[in-house]
Amino acid sequence: MKLTLQITLAILFFCSLSCGNMRDVSIYEPSKSISAFKQFPHKILFTNSEENGLWGIKNNACKEISFESSNSYIGKDHLYIKWNASKCNYIGMGLKWDNYKGKNLMPILETTAIELHVRIDSGELSNVPMFFILEDYGGKQCRANINYLDLEGGRIDTEWRRIRIPFQAFNYAKRGVNMSNIKELRLEFQRNGHLHIDNIVIVPHDYNYKNTTNKFTKVFNSHPVQLGAGKEYWWGVNTKYSSSFKFGGFFKNESVVVDLDLSKEDTWDTFGFSPYMWMHVDLSSIYSTSAIKFKIKSSKLPKLQAFLFAYTGERRRLQKILNESNFIDKENGIFEAYIPLKSLMGHSKFSWDNLKEIRFRVLEGTQFEIGDFQLIEFRGDPKKPNKWKGI
Amino acid sequence: MERNINLLFCLLFSLLFTIAVHPQVSKVEVTTNASGNFELQRNGVPYYIKGAGAKDHFDLLVKSGANSIRIWSTNNKALLDSAHQHGLTVTLGLYVRPERSGMDYNNEYAVKGQIEQLKNEVMKYKDHPALLVWGIGNEVDLRYSNFKVWKTIEVLAKFIKEVDPNHPTMTVTAGIDPSKAYYIKKYCPSVDILGLNVYGSIENAGANLRKFNWDKPYIVSEWGVNGPFEARRTSWKAKIEPPNGLKADQRLRRYKELIEKDIELCIGSYCFLWGQKQESTATWHGMFLSDGRPTEAVDVMQFCWTGEWPQSRAPSIKDISLENIGWRKDHILASSVQATLSIEYLKYNNKKVIVEYVLYPEAFSNKIGGDIQKSPDSIKFDIVKQSDNELIFISPKKKGAYRLFAYVKNEKGQSSVANIPFLVK
Repeated sequence: MKLTLQITLAILFFCSLSCGNMRDVSIYEPSKSISAFKQFPHKILFTNSEENGLWGIKNNACKEISFESSNSYIGKDHLYIKWNASKCNYIGMGLKWDNYKGKNLMPILETTAIELHVRIDSGELSNVPMFFILEDYGGKQCRANINYLDLEGGRIDTEWRRIRIPFQAFNYAKRGVNMSNIKELRLEFQRNGHLHIDNIVIVPHDYNYKNTTNKFTKVFNSHPVQLGAGKEYWWGVNTKYSSSFKFGGFFKNESVVVDLDLSKEDTWDTFGFSPYMWMHVDLSSIYSTSAIKFKIKSSKLPKLQAFLFAYTGERRRLQKILNESNFIDKENGIFEAYIPLKSLMGHSKFSWDNLKEIRFRVLEGTQFEIGDFQLIEFRGDPKKPNKWKGI
Repeated sequence: MERNINLLFCLLFSLLFTIAVHPQVSKVEVTTNASGNFELQRNGVPYYIKGAGAKDHFDLLVKSGANSIRIWSTNNKALLDSAHQHGLTVTLGLYVRPERSGMDYNNEYAVKGQIEQLKNEVMKYKDHPALLVWGIGNEVDLRYSNFKVWKTIEVLAKFIKEVDPNHPTMTVTAGIDPSKAYYIKKYCPSVDILGLNVYGSIENAGANLRKFNWDKPYIVSEWGVNGPFEARRTSWKAKIEPPNGLKADQRLRRYKELIEKDIELCIGSYCFLWGQKQESTATWHGMFLSDGRPTEAVDVMQFCWTGEWPQSRAPSIKDISLENIGWRKDHILASSVQATLSIEYLKYNNKKVIVEYVLYPEAFSNKIGGDIQKSPDSIKFDIVKQSDNELIFISPKKKGAYRLFAYVKNEKGQSSVANIPFLVK
């Protein structure tokens, strides 16, 4: 009984002790980000020329910069710049932003923006050809421009209009900029124009936009791969204008029936297709052990030239005129064709991560059906594909 | 009686005021005619575009037989007003930022901002009486990798369909290939017309569209002579520009043999450029010189549009050579030596022509497409002797790449120009 009482008293004692140590919490406590903003000590970049340092404000043939005291948004004066980039490669100026102290923007990166007010002397603009550039102490720069979504009233005119450049809009990740040690803000101007600028400050700002990663790329890293599935990814087959090619049905997958008369003028002799839905096709991990395989139904071997195209790269086209070593006679008028990718001259300079198209040109008048295109594993001699035992 | 006259006057005034404040918006439609060919109709009347990429010289444009201009962005309303005053229609560009300018089509903020801004531009201009066709984007496909840009084009085309039923939509590509044709067909069903910017590739453009199964009409939205990007280069990477006379012949053939003949799919064209711009040289694409003088390309366009040559024709430089070596070859000179430049030209009906020679430093540029390039300033050089067909001069003392221009003009200022790049070493 005595022990039970002691335990109860101990529990009560510890409870009261911990309750006493609890802090008061308001239901409406400011979020972490607001307090991060409050704690950020470098909120003012420019309110007037005396208190905030700038560089690059000497006039030259391409820019005139002055501090005007009339009709300022805030403070005793504001910045006025007039520029014309026709004779200069670079027109810019910089804000020393708290005298070049290293600024750690990381805590406020997602919840704040650079805010400024601008106006012009006459007319109306929906944008100004200028960039905002953040530079870190390693000399790396990231940039952003004026976005219509954060331009007050959707226009710049003779009234002071608010512009916000969210820090999230800067391409700092892509440029590898150290956002925990920012040196300065630069303003860069292009083409020509003029602008009154005042009250450049850091403010809280909601940014609710995402970056997506879809780059229309299809990666293949194993065999076999069916190539050119879907007639909508083929070209050169249009019976309204040419009878040279029409889609066939003899083979399991897409095929083309060729009926070519090269004695006619403007005969269509070429067709092609995307390996995969006109995406950037990435074969980089398997190309060296790959061959294009397809089938031909014909009484004799047609004379064909094969092409591969990449979307980008130093070498964007590979080609090869097929010869007997590329074919195996499967009898009954069926041939299998193999084009090892390493047999294509210049293959090492081709962007195998960016394959665009496979194309065939028929080099002599003939009739046959060609189809069932695949990418298969191939580990034989690229010069003698039909000799490889693995086929 | 007097009261009736007053009433009539008031009605007339009201009518004129209404017309002045709300000028007639044209109804423009893509249709097919009785032959099954595509046709543009403006206010119910077939309208074949005889156009130019132009921001100036509208009087001469109209006099030459054109009926339309193409502009690339919405930043100058005065151009539309001026075109309208001249009786010209306008294919109006909505400037969709290309990926090569730093635009990231995976960046939702940038994409939405651009779309909203351009929607605002559509609302500003949709009722302009000069408006003919919307040009949504120009060469957004040039060196791009993110095909998502076509979704932006479609959002804008669809928006135009909703708010402006009076004007068709077009997107403009840098040439055409099967992947671009596929993406536009798949992602941009609200695009009515394909605009093709084609220079050397105009030769196969019509056939290729059919091979790529494009089944809507097209406008040749930029065409002219082969571009600098297609030109042969000297060993020091200077682009070799053909003389004006050869370029004029090329323009004429392309219009007559390629554009005009494709009556099934092609609903008109805009030649490039009714004006002047620096693109590798100051004279490559422009049909005018930097001082505003027209070149023989203007005469060619008049012939294309009307079937008649102007009464006063510009002379035509057919050949240019340096030290008896033709313009297609490399030219290398020692510094401060005497050299001879020769030109051959046709005077046509001009009794008198004036020949001028100007030396420039080579203007190397890595810009592509229509991106802005800077013009170099001319250089003073020593002329030993000058005649109507020959210039003997002293090569520059300073080593480097240069380009010597020959201008031949008549008394009205109509001109022809040719140049030769050379290296001093």
